[in-house]
Amino acid sequence: MKRTLVIIALYFTMTAPTGLYAQTADADLAKTPFSRIEEQARGSQVSWYMFGGWAHVNTWVDTYVAGEMKTRYDIDLVRVPMDAGVFVNKLLNEKAAGKKKGNIDLLWINGENFKNAREAGLLFGPFAQKLPNVQQVVDPDSIAFDFGFPVDGYEAPYGRAQFVFEYDTAQIAEPPTTMAALKQWIHANPGRFTYPQPPDFTGSAFIRQVFYAVTGGHAQYLAGWDPDLFARKAPLLWQWLNDVEPYLWQKGRTYPQDSAFLDTLFSRGEVGLGMSYHPPHAQNKIIEGTYPETVRTFVMQDGSIYNIHFTAIPFNSPNKSGAMVLANFLISVDAQLSKYRPENWGDFPALDPKRLSPQDKRRFQAVDLGPATLGPEQLNPVAVPEIPADYLEAIEQGWRDHVLNE
Amino acid sequence: MSSTSSLILKLSPLALPYLALFCGGVFLTVCQSFGLLTPLPYPGGMVDAYLELLTDSSFFASFVFSLGVAAVSAASAVTIGTLLAYRIWKLPGRLATVALVYKIPLVLPHIAVAFVVLVFWSQSGILASAAHQLGLIRSMTEFPNVLYSGWGIGMILAYTLKGTPFAMLLVMAMLVRFDARQIQTADMLGASGLRIFFSVVLPRLAPAMHTGFIILFLYSFGAFDIPYILSESRPGMLSIQVYNLYFKHDLARRPEAMAILTIMFGFAVLFIVAYSKVVRRLEDGVRKL
Repeated sequence: MKRTLVIIALYFTMTAPTGLYAQTADADLAKTPFSRIEEQARGSQVSWYMFGGWAHVNTWVDTYVAGEMKTRYDIDLVRVPMDAGVFVNKLLNEKAAGKKKGNIDLLWINGENFKNAREAGLLFGPFAQKLPNVQQVVDPDSIAFDFGFPVDGYEAPYGRAQFVFEYDTAQIAEPPTTMAALKQWIHANPGRFTYPQPPDFTGSAFIRQVFYAVTGGHAQYLAGWDPDLFARKAPLLWQWLNDVEPYLWQKGRTYPQDSAFLDTLFSRGEVGLGMSYHPPHAQNKIIEGTYPETVRTFVMQDGSIYNIHFTAIPFNSPNKSGAMVLANFLISVDAQLSKYRPENWGDFPALDPKRLSPQDKRRFQAVDLGPATLGPEQLNPVAVPEIPADYLEAIEQGWRDHVLNE
Repeated sequence: MSSTSSLILKLSPLALPYLALFCGGVFLTVCQSFGLLTPLPYPGGMVDAYLELLTDSSFFASFVFSLGVAAVSAASAVTIGTLLAYRIWKLPGRLATVALVYKIPLVLPHIAVAFVVLVFWSQSGILASAAHQLGLIRSMTEFPNVLYSGWGIGMILAYTLKGTPFAMLLVMAMLVRFDARQIQTADMLGASGLRIFFSVVLPRLAPAMHTGFIILFLYSFGAFDIPYILSESRPGMLSIQVYNLYFKHDLARRPEAMAILTIMFGFAVLFIVAYSKVVRRLEDGVRKL
């Protein structure tokens, strides 16, 4: 009994002061020059929590990123696969429990999860402006907002994604390239189209794109949440979705649970059109051997949503210096270029091409994206920004009430 | 020190973590369902989340559907499990050892069983192509649409597959202690095989069957992995709804997720109490052997 009490007392004396210490260290970090931070991080270990569902991305992180971090900065990179929703909850619990020293150093995060994490005070920062590569090669306007939520330097950019559709040229000659044409196509090809059930990431982005297309464009929503505007416009979206529902896969009685399921249906030819929030997705699948060589991608001419994905540092990261060094490396020209190559990943750079040296620019232009991936010249003209997160939540809930349970 | 308090002290290494983790978790869930101790300050009233759920007809549809899937799969697992266990128990010794293969699904994780069902029963699956090869159906799409029928048949199949060996295990444990001479006696007195099973064997196995049913029923009512692979969009399973609310929606909606969990937990407790009461009353009416 006595011994237990002693152990408990010891535990508290040991844990109490570390919190104070960590706080002063955080404040110092903001003032420390980056070269000094790199010095501090040398020989340390950085744990990067990120979505682990893509084997090729995991390989890229484990080989290229881990290798470069070791040789350039003598940092050991540990990749931990975890969905963003899960690590946000892990951090929430750690914060509630008063755990000052966690085990996550860097997160791959954006959108709703960033908003959740930021509102709950789970992130360290601002730090993005401190990173030399963000200062040099990133357009500050491009990283001012994340799904309409101000970034304020609490995230560093890492990549760019844009919504594309996929089709097999051996099956379909001319894919529909507007939402109106898509509706006709679905009616003409019953059972050959479906979308993942929101709140799945891809399915949710698909219905946002329909929302833009059938309600007169994205610009009206960017000013922030307007309940009256939403109440006026949303019925058009439910109308469109309910019009096509009886003609969807399985007569619209059910929807794929996630985008991986839709990929499977598309690869087996059960549906004629696939979709992805990642332009190189089809090319990756061809390289992997799951999609036929004849698959190509296309974008909707009435708007294709893009977003920047980011990295962020949790409030209780045990190695914030190391996390900043990794975040800085990820947005470097070298890392972005390696990431851009389809055999590695094919993820689009979050850099501003205007800020690159002519030589670096040529290195990016020289990358062969593969026949299935559209280039910036096709993607950029139709790119439209993501909707503010409040709309996203309302659309997902509205989909349940007005489409699923209608 | 009295013997009770010393017993409590001796149990404390086990009991304390249990109390802290389990009761702490339940306590936090209930609090958050009322909008207290939430990650973000909750602007709504204490019972807003519950009102939101109780006025949502799709919540009731999901609740009833989850109950249905759980009840049908638990009942079939216990029925099949009991019959199989009895057959195996009656087998000669050497064959009974071979019959141990029934334990294989026990070691398979639920998610693996879900994939087994998916691979076998989908319209592009193994059974469909076998039927097509044998000429039973002209094209693969003629194969019955088992997985997307709107009745949760895929999940019921998976839970039954996974639950049957579990029920067998429980029933086997009872049978091992069962005195075979009772059957011989009944046989000599001229009872038929069916009569022996229902009047002599079954009453002895009932406790194991009840336990098995409660465990399987409540597990399939709340579990997530099999629905994640096999559930349909409408009506959805409650566990999927909780998962989506918890992980994929705005933090402001945390109380709703927790309210569903609280309702499910409350239901489970009520169910156990009510079920045991009913069983006890039924058994009181039965003459003990």
